[in-house]
Amino acid sequence: LATTPDLKSIAESVTGGAVRVETLVPPGTDAEAFEPRPSHLGLVRDAVLVIRVGLGFDDWLDRLIVQSGNTRVQRGAEAQLDLSKEVALLEVQGRSVEQQSGHAHGAANPHYWLDPANAEAMGAVIAEAVVRVAPEKRASIEASHDRFRAELKARLERWTRALEPHRGAPIVAYHNSWPYFARRFRLNIVDVIEPKEGVPPTAARLLSLAATIRSKKVRVIVHEPFEPMEASRSLSQRTGAQVVVLAPSVGGAPGTETYFALFDRNVDLLGKALAGQP
Amino acid sequence: MIADVLALLAFPCIAAFIFVGMHTWLGLQVLRRKVIFADLALAQLSALGATVAVAIGHAPGSAGAFTYALLFTLAGAVMLTLSRRVSVDVSQEAVIGIVYVVATALTVLVVDRSPQGAEHVKRMLVGSILTIGPADVFKLTLLYGAVGLLHTAFRRPILAAASDNRGHASWTLTFWDFVFYGSFGLVVTSSVALAGVLLVFSFLIIPAVIGTLFSRQIGAALAIGWSAGVLASLLGFGASLVLDVPTGAAMVAAFALVLVAAMLIRVFARSSASRLQPKQVARVALAVLAGAVFLESCWLMLSPRGDHPLLAGFEVLTGIGPERFLTATERSVYTDAAQTELRNRGEVERLRALEREARWKGKELGEEELRRVASFQQSFNEMGRGERFVQDHLRATARARERWYVGLPAMLLSALCLAWFISGVRKRRARVSTGRRGGDVTVAP
Repeated sequence: LATTPDLKSIAESVTGGAVRVETLVPPGTDAEAFEPRPSHLGLVRDAVLVIRVGLGFDDWLDRLIVQSGNTRVQRGAEAQLDLSKEVALLEVQGRSVEQQSGHAHGAANPHYWLDPANAEAMGAVIAEAVVRVAPEKRASIEASHDRFRAELKARLERWTRALEPHRGAPIVAYHNSWPYFARRFRLNIVDVIEPKEGVPPTAARLLSLAATIRSKKVRVIVHEPFEPMEASRSLSQRTGAQVVVLAPSVGGAPGTETYFALFDRNVDLLGKALAGQP
Repeated sequence: MIADVLALLAFPCIAAFIFVGMHTWLGLQVLRRKVIFADLALAQLSALGATVAVAIGHAPGSAGAFTYALLFTLAGAVMLTLSRRVSVDVSQEAVIGIVYVVATALTVLVVDRSPQGAEHVKRMLVGSILTIGPADVFKLTLLYGAVGLLHTAFRRPILAAASDNRGHASWTLTFWDFVFYGSFGLVVTSSVALAGVLLVFSFLIIPAVIGTLFSRQIGAALAIGWSAGVLASLLGFGASLVLDVPTGAAMVAAFALVLVAAMLIRVFARSSASRLQPKQVARVALAVLAGAVFLESCWLMLSPRGDHPLLAGFEVLTGIGPERFLTATERSVYTDAAQTELRNRGEVERLRALEREARWKGKELGEEELRRVASFQQSFNEMGRGERFVQDHLRATARARERWYVGLPAMLLSALCLAWFISGVRKRRARVSTGRRGGDVTVAP
């Protein structure tokens, strides 16, 4: 059981269909505003392995697990994988304190799956954990894990090549979801339009953003499907920068049904926009 | 810079004036009909209509989506119109509340069951006034112009329908009610999509309330409401610009401020005619202040480590901080902690900037380096927290001493003040009652 469609897609590729993988957050919805349905309780109750994003991104999972009474997968148990422990994090805060253990957990930017290189470590941990709960399927899982690694490597090279000409290109994002993506493909996110979710940008902020866009010659505003368009659109009209709607997770837009397809589309759209094509 | 600001604010400002113009008029009628939250119910219904349209395959913002939204709003107008016919048994506000809640719940259900895209529509009710452009203003002018003409032409029957308080109304009345709710729904739906629920409610109700405060006549109330609305809008835009705060929320606050000012003016205007004297008002204000100071100083004596908002404000205003009550060594520890915290924060910022730059410039940071940066950031943040803890502890110690020098005198002084106020009230009461008993005898002042 995975909390988001991204983790589900990675887990499916890694296991090659040897196990059943379900996602709690349906594709194409906002994971941070997730509301569980009764059927989700059943999914959690029957899960033998839970894979989560962590970092406060899917905190609602803990209450679901308590409610379902499935103690095998509770926080800290071996059958709960918090993938944030496997990757190098960006923008670490160190302010949040975990209620359960009382130690500083170091909340960081949670969108780490948007760096495809992180998927290698994530996939490896998932494969290992699945083999642990289903040892009889070891051979087939290892084979598909190898396939996953090879394909990831090949595609990563292709994506990097596609965005290579735009190295260091200045970009404005609507929300701070893209630091990992930017780091992998060497893009320069100069500013974000809405630093705090739900608080619309002020007049002075819109002005300074327009000034930044002009002075740094930003050509692209990266936008996610569910974010309010008004601010990005008016900035785009005032400065001529192009708004590109990129999906932040699997299923967030048509043509992003798997983890690989997600990057195919995002890289393609972004590359075209940066090259100045509509 | 100035030209930029004007270019950015020109259209939102024009839109705000158009909103004030239309909504004050509608708001006055809403007040007379006592259907304060009808706008929320109608806006929510139109959002539900648009959501349904998107769920069955129309593109968000298309003509199909607009038609659905319109039909749902008109259905809501029918419901509100009919609710008046049964409002003898059930209050109309109850019907409005039910319509709002059910429409919201149905929207959630439809979004949940529909493929991508419907989530857009959920945000229909959170417009942002700052991003209104020339095209929006053009559409607003057309729509509001049409509704305005209709209302000007038929203002008499519409007004008559609004102020008719008979229970079972005639069918002509019901017809005009429907005209009102239909056009009201149309206006509110478009304004909520542009300016958001909070702001539209303020546009609708607050100028109308101000107008009603000063005049029962609809013409005068309308003129006063318009001026107050324009003033509040300008105030809100100005505050949002100067203080750099979100525009919509700043405008709602500005409307509230203008309302409070209008109420004060009303009170004083009436008091010059009747027995309420400015001196008396000042006395009551002083008594309220003394009461607050008394409670705060009691709280300080009991728990010096708790939160003391009034005292903190006093400290900021006068510059007499708790640091004054520390010994020399304690004070040096305090300033040291403050400086170290600042340094740590600077260090965190430096690391952050370094990592940010390495994302796209020069050599890429490796995994290990990244982890090192992260753990440094975390430690510096933790250390900063430690320094903050030291400062908090010292401040609490200082407050514990401060209470004898500041808290105790403040408590005694405010107690005296209150006693004086209470005895004054008693004397006046005694004077009034002896006066009533028929003598000219006055109690010694």
